[in-house]
Amino acid sequence: MNPGDRVRVDRADQTYEGVLLPSSDAEQLVVKLDGGYNVGVTREDADVDVLESGVYDIEGDEPDEGESSTIEFDEDLPTISLISTGGTIASTVDYRTGAVTAQFDAEDVLRAVPDLAGRANYRGRVVANILSENMDPGIWQELAHAVHEEIENGADGVVVMHGTDTMQYSASALAFMLDTPVPVVFTGSQRSADRPSSDNVMNAVCAVEAAKSDCAEVLLCMHASESDDDCALHRGTRVRKNHTSRRDAFETVGAAPLGVVDYDAAADEDPDAVTFRREHQARDGVDLDIEPALASDVELVKFTPGMDPAFLEYCEGKDGLVVEGTGLGHVHTDLIPTLASHVDDGTTVVMTSQCLEGRVCDRVYDTGRDLLDAGVVEGEDILPGTAKVKLMWVLANRDDPAAAMGADLAGEIQERSVPWE
Amino acid sequence: MTEYDYDELGLVAGLEIHQQLDTATKLFCSCPTELREPEESVRSFERYLHPTKSELGEIDEAALEESQVERVFEYLAYDSTCLVEEDDEPPARVDAEALSVVLEIAQLMDMTPVDVAHVMRKLVVDGSNTSGFQRSMEIATDGEIETSEGAVRVADLMLEEESAQRVEEREDGVTYSLDRLGIPLVEIGTKPDISSPEQAREAAERIGMLLRSTGHVKRGLGTIRQDVNISIAEGARVEVKGVQSLDDIDDIVRNEVGRQVALLDVKDRLGERDATVGEPVDVTETFADTDSGVVRGALDSGGEVWAVRLEGFDGIVGEEIQPDRRLGTELSDHAKRHGAGGIFHTDELPAYGVTEEEVVALREAVDAGEGDAVAMVAADVDVAEAAVEAAADRATVALEGVPEETRGANDDGTTRYLRPLPGAARMYPETDVPPVHLDPSDVDEPELLTAKVGRYQDEYGLDAGVAEQVAYGAYMPLFESLVDDDGVDATLAATTLESTLTALRRDDVPTDELTDAHLRDAIALVDAGDVPNEGLEDLLTALARNPGWSAEQAVEEEDLGGVAEDEVREAVVEVVERNGDQVDEQGMGAFSALMGECMGALRGKADGDLVSEVLREEIQARA
Repeated sequence: MNPGDRVRVDRADQTYEGVLLPSSDAEQLVVKLDGGYNVGVTREDADVDVLESGVYDIEGDEPDEGESSTIEFDEDLPTISLISTGGTIASTVDYRTGAVTAQFDAEDVLRAVPDLAGRANYRGRVVANILSENMDPGIWQELAHAVHEEIENGADGVVVMHGTDTMQYSASALAFMLDTPVPVVFTGSQRSADRPSSDNVMNAVCAVEAAKSDCAEVLLCMHASESDDDCALHRGTRVRKNHTSRRDAFETVGAAPLGVVDYDAAADEDPDAVTFRREHQARDGVDLDIEPALASDVELVKFTPGMDPAFLEYCEGKDGLVVEGTGLGHVHTDLIPTLASHVDDGTTVVMTSQCLEGRVCDRVYDTGRDLLDAGVVEGEDILPGTAKVKLMWVLANRDDPAAAMGADLAGEIQERSVPWE
Repeated sequence: MTEYDYDELGLVAGLEIHQQLDTATKLFCSCPTELREPEESVRSFERYLHPTKSELGEIDEAALEESQVERVFEYLAYDSTCLVEEDDEPPARVDAEALSVVLEIAQLMDMTPVDVAHVMRKLVVDGSNTSGFQRSMEIATDGEIETSEGAVRVADLMLEEESAQRVEEREDGVTYSLDRLGIPLVEIGTKPDISSPEQAREAAERIGMLLRSTGHVKRGLGTIRQDVNISIAEGARVEVKGVQSLDDIDDIVRNEVGRQVALLDVKDRLGERDATVGEPVDVTETFADTDSGVVRGALDSGGEVWAVRLEGFDGIVGEEIQPDRRLGTELSDHAKRHGAGGIFHTDELPAYGVTEEEVVALREAVDAGEGDAVAMVAADVDVAEAAVEAAADRATVALEGVPEETRGANDDGTTRYLRPLPGAARMYPETDVPPVHLDPSDVDEPELLTAKVGRYQDEYGLDAGVAEQVAYGAYMPLFESLVDDDGVDATLAATTLESTLTALRRDDVPTDELTDAHLRDAIALVDAGDVPNEGLEDLLTALARNPGWSAEQAVEEEDLGGVAEDEVREAVVEVVERNGDQVDEQGMGAFSALMGECMGALRGKADGDLVSEVLREEIQARA
């Protein structure tokens, strides 16, 4: 008896006939009835007869290889590289776990999103096939190399398809590692691609349009609202996933998003579909370069009332430590000596704020002044997650990490705090 | 209506019944199962759906027809809906109350629950589900219900989420209301064991009674929908959707049998005539100078006229195959599906401003001879040709007999063409909701409505008519709770919930506004003597007109509270004194006349028995 067999299952006075499916749980058999419904039958009470073996190909939805790669090159269109790292945008159902997992490469995405056709010539590439919570700095480096190589080989823009959980970290990493003369646009989806309501189609279309635009920065392109009307273009270093499930989960912190893609206009291939609100790095403004080195021994620690001091003590000997403090950038006064001793040991300690909005200022209260005396670096208005990525990069690439943390390297620091709506 | 020998015709029918459950929360979130008015919407948003080929697999004909145009769907959200309905938050676990009600239903229909229910996604791309699919799970199989003509087996019991309500249809899209989306819905499908129209109705009634016995089903228009599958031996399976009233089911079956019989007869005669269907022809020129309003209108807005020769169809297109519906109506239904307003055919022409001369020219233009009919469509460019082609296709099918299709129920018991039969639903697992282990052991078997009628008479002393009204009525659960939990007098509760409300409704009091809480509190106030019996109608009227009030508030605002005995006596004394002469003359004989005056003076606020007692005393005192 194997998944895919046509079976009859007798249990007490009840008979179910259908196709046996893989079950995620050893206690039950899962049978797909002829009407299409799956039902679970407790295994120990069940009597199974195989009526016919292998009538149903469980992995059966794989399209024919033949029909896929007949994509024609059009000289009038820009070339966009689609780089897949996995995630919801490229996911389908995994029968084994019953959960959603990544199984598509970039060409599958083209097949899954036919709306992308005719907008660009595409080059597909798979760097990873993971859910983004499993992302790590090693893959950021591979991804940076892949993007670098694609641009070197003539890509006019790069779209990175990425799980949404840690997209902001990867985008920040690439923003620090790369000098790019073309747009590098991260996108993903909050609703899996296996449902008709998935946001993957609109996000992918808008990301490709953004990748064709004049903004040579690392951007993140996701829904601007719960409607399928606009995608927001966020700077990779200023963006944060602020909702667990909504389509418009991503928000630029401390400013309106850098740009907007109008989906209706993009669908009609209107050249004005992509607009920007503020100054940005222009296409071909810099030469392509990559500095991929990272210090891996860096932690981000959030201070909360009642925190066990041992958590901070544990960070002894780290290359870098980002603290997510309270308010203007504080921790409990009793913890300051520990931080002072880490600094003396050679650890770069950077203060950020769990307020997220606003700038760290450790000159207002005694606690702050004590932290400055202890050698803690003010992290300006850098987002805590971005600060961690930046510190990893700065420690490996800059001689004076403390000074570099206070300077704007990739749009992560806003020099002026300007009220916005 | 003609009666047929259904056995001989080989009538086979089955029912599919959808019933909304009256649970506290929706199936996959904690929102109330409350319907709203579109004007109460607090937010709206727009979405597209993108069904891809890889999801559809073998593309379903019906789904394809729906998805061909990129349509924008607008959704109205309320303060009673949340992100789950908006497809912006994963669904919660399956609602426990809905599961327990559906297990009760399974028990009432003698069905076997599955061990583990798996939530499935059923692809729906018309926008009525924000996700693009409907969540549904098989709960139980293999039951049966009794009818006087024998048992009808119940194949499946499903628990699913209700779709969003269609509010408005525009050219480029549809507006839906999210209030209804996610209300628990049970679907009950019988096997095709039904063999007469009466049995179809009886089975539907029986299922309806069993559902209502749970006390947890929604009542009112649209909360139950009945579909009937009908075929006769030589005919074809036709699914009739959306039969609103139980009373229509037997007529629907009779009319559909009649339609299939008529279509088979048409087929035989067309065969004898060697009938065929020609190719669509552009006949715009023929009508260049027409005065027919419909045709002129189409041409003036840049449209065209297309026609097709129906060889050997003369006289048959105009024949009735259902009361007031002809073969021509069927052709027209298909043309309408393609955007035309309908068709004209030569069996009905000249008419509608089309002249005798134009009919001759039309026949000539499509080369139609004697014995042939012609169908024509005037509409926009593209639409006219496609529509006449659709009508021609339907005419071709008439040569073969009865087409399998989905039809919609009309109010008069006839049906109209809706769409092709859906293929087997394309379903895949809803991975966001873990499978549910069902435990039927802790489900109580509800008391059947038929049993309640008897118990209400025996235990509560209601008469048979009232007992039946209450048991089968919408207020049955409230009645039982009032009597059993609150200890309210059963007769008071029963008469208020049935006769009093019916009377108020007839007087145009908006009784729909009355909530269970209004009714419960008002009846309790009367039961406790705080409001006299005579004040109940006024109290309910006040609440219905001011649904924001509580019952206590209404008593206060409208001054409906009972009047104490001394106040009653004061009023009675006044009346007796004013009519002193009459009392002196007639003694107790004046009672009836004065009673009315006393009640009037007290404006119905006093208890009638008390007034009568005091009046008696005062008359005697004077004597």
